Amino acid sequence: MLDQSRNRWHPIAASHDLAYRHVFHGQLLGREFAVWRADDDFVNIWENRCLHRGVRLSIGINDGRELKCQYHGWRYSNRTAGCTYIPAHPADAPARTITNRTFSAVERYGFVWTAEEPVGEVPGIAGLAEGDLLVLRGIPVNAAADRVVEHLQTHRFQPVGALDADGAEMVVETADAFSLALLARQGTAETRCVFFVQPVDAARSVIRGVLDRQPEAAQRMAVLRHHNERLSALRERIEDAVRGEPAPAPIEPVFDPVPAELAEMPQPTPHGRKATLRVEVARKWAAADGIAGFELTPLGGGLPTFQPGAHIDVHMPNGEIRQYSVVNGPGESDRFTIGVKREPESAGGSSCMHDTVREGDVLAISEPRNNFPLRRDASKTLLVAGGIGITPLLAMAQALHNQDLAFELHYFARDEAQMAFRERLDGLGATLHPHLGLDPQATGDTLSSLFSTYQDGMHLYLCGPGPMLEAARRVAAERGWPEQAIHFEYFKNTNEIDDSSTFEVALARSCLTFQVPAGRTILDMVRENGVDMPSSCEQGACGTCLATVIEGEPDHQDVYLNDTEKRSGTKIMTCVSRARSARLVLDL
Amino acid sequence: MIKLYDYELSGNCYKLRLLMSILGVDYETVPVDFYPGREHKSDWFLRLNPLGQLPVVDDDGLVLRDAQAILVYLAARYDPSGTWYPRDDPRLLGEVSQWLAFADGITATASAARLHDGLFYDVDIDACRAGAHRLFRILDEHLWFGEQEGRDWLCAAAAPTIADIACFPYVMLSEEGGISRQDYPAIRRWCDRLKRVDGFIVMSGIFPASRARAA
Repeated sequence: MLDQSRNRWHPIAASHDLAYRHVFHGQLLGREFAVWRADDDFVNIWENRCLHRGVRLSIGINDGRELKCQYHGWRYSNRTAGCTYIPAHPADAPARTITNRTFSAVERYGFVWTAEEPVGEVPGIAGLAEGDLLVLRGIPVNAAADRVVEHLQTHRFQPVGALDADGAEMVVETADAFSLALLARQGTAETRCVFFVQPVDAARSVIRGVLDRQPEAAQRMAVLRHHNERLSALRERIEDAVRGEPAPAPIEPVFDPVPAELAEMPQPTPHGRKATLRVEVARKWAAADGIAGFELTPLGGGLPTFQPGAHIDVHMPNGEIRQYSVVNGPGESDRFTIGVKREPESAGGSSCMHDTVREGDVLAISEPRNNFPLRRDASKTLLVAGGIGITPLLAMAQALHNQDLAFELHYFARDEAQMAFRERLDGLGATLHPHLGLDPQATGDTLSSLFSTYQDGMHLYLCGPGPMLEAARRVAAERGWPEQAIHFEYFKNTNEIDDSSTFEVALARSCLTFQVPAGRTILDMVRENGVDMPSSCEQGACGTCLATVIEGEPDHQDVYLNDTEKRSGTKIMTCVSRARSARLVLDL
Repeated sequence: MIKLYDYELSGNCYKLRLLMSILGVDYETVPVDFYPGREHKSDWFLRLNPLGQLPVVDDDGLVLRDAQAILVYLAARYDPSGTWYPRDDPRLLGEVSQWLAFADGITATASAARLHDGLFYDVDIDACRAGAHRLFRILDEHLWFGEQEGRDWLCAAAAPTIADIACFPYVMLSEEGGISRQDYPAIRRWCDRLKRVDGFIVMSGIFPASRARAA
């Protein structure tokens, strides 16, 4: 009887099967896998079906950082298997629940091991020293694994050094349900080979053999061919033996629904700003003059999927909360990299990050949130950064670069020393255009020439200091860029907030009506009435607390919405904006 | 200009389109309604090719049938680099011819299975599939040892030859005949390598691969 334990580690591929930019088609006990090695050498073992239409991901495209489904181009990130882009919804950031099922992957003895629900470590094999082994060609056999193991008991091969002789003495050293170690001895020549039998399905297996040491280079091919020949002959015998027998039914894999932690509704809490992740400051360095770079690695487990343009809230030791864009390129999912500029008039955020936080410290951060998503269907994308505004645009540039899409990154900075994340910028090649030391007048002129050639299908992304964004948006509009092609993110909202009005708010879905008095925000009152509402910057810049307006006239005071969106009166930033009408009805 | 009598879904026609795309050769196609029209058995087509088979090319009056033969002609005539059909290397030419014949075996098995599943041809489907698996085992073994020896292609050459083009299409389309390539990881990697050749084009059922990793 075939042992179908889901807890047991099995090899499902040889390490050499996982070429870069390739997707290996694996299977264990009836369950198929898409197995791919990212350029950073992380081995991904995923359920072999796209979450969209169920197409096998093993025919997808491994671009070194992400796996793209062949069917509708959904992209999934290295390591997290979270969806990062859906071509049919180019303006949206995919929901975090769109995350494929992943399986443990361990490389050992030249093989890639997995199990559906592994218990313990990949078993250690006596007599096999990591590193000096010779992995044989895997031999697929159309027979059940237990039958294969049975036949392997009488398998014969010649030790290295006596390949041309015949009749080596064979000893079965150890054997269990899926593996056995055979020793071949002839005179003084002795070779140990451990065979693992991978149960692909009820009636399919792969024999994966490994020799206890590398033969001399001159003999290597002869040894590989010898074993391939012997194992192929063994396969013939096994397949002949089982040919007349009734084939067992294929194993039906069970497809789990979305994991519980993704399917659950978040618990309501009185405070909307949550810091569910704990990260360690793995590295802190001077990313440029006055800009500290931080690499944040998770404490246990992994990090959630991010997309270019996403930011995280960092909860600091002094109680301050600040938003920082994730600088990572696609597939770089083992850590978050952020850049923090020291603000001369710091209210406690940047000075804390610069002066107090050190390598090894633990910080609480929110999950990444993307209110500045990047379209990837533009005929050409212009990215325009001012100063520390480079951070979200650098993430975008790396994503566009990885996909070979047309773009230019224009980086306005005071001087070379103030250009942050040099090594990432250098990776962008000729797409990077620095503009150094320009005064406002020269900046305006440069922007004016940059924006002079709008063509249908182009998109513009802006991030930088308020005055520069104002100027850039104005120039782009003058140059004929439509508002929906201009995307921007402000660092902060410098508008003077007028919170003197009093009005009534009705929440249509929650069936609640309440007053918002002067001095309080809609967001405060929504929460006070027990409705959970996400928020991040709470000053009208980041876009997290956006609500849909069903009725009434908003009094916009934010810098997130563009003018068309503001005029339409259908959206409101609940942290700063209020009502001109006596009553607002929100879709909450 | 070269005229290709062509059926969009034919792997044998595709291998000519593929080579001509790689070589940058201009050509025009004459669509032949293979299914359901059976135009390849019509009188006008039988005058071109009495065997009643696609593809056929007409290059300035030279009418040639048989995909493998046409590959030989096109590469010998239009490949200035001389790598696709290495005329001056007898050993390689022998290898190329050996794999061209192997490609005929793939057509007789994997392609026949696909015609059975897709276009309702009456063939012994089990024999076709078993025959294709037998060939794929041989091909996978050859390619695996090639990888171990630092050889990327079917023949012992640094560059691909028409042997690779001849074998590739019906290997890639085998799933449409119910023949999985899961047991042939070295074949799957070789297919990726071929898809990265400059000038590679797709057909229905044959998808692109990603760029290779920068060295």
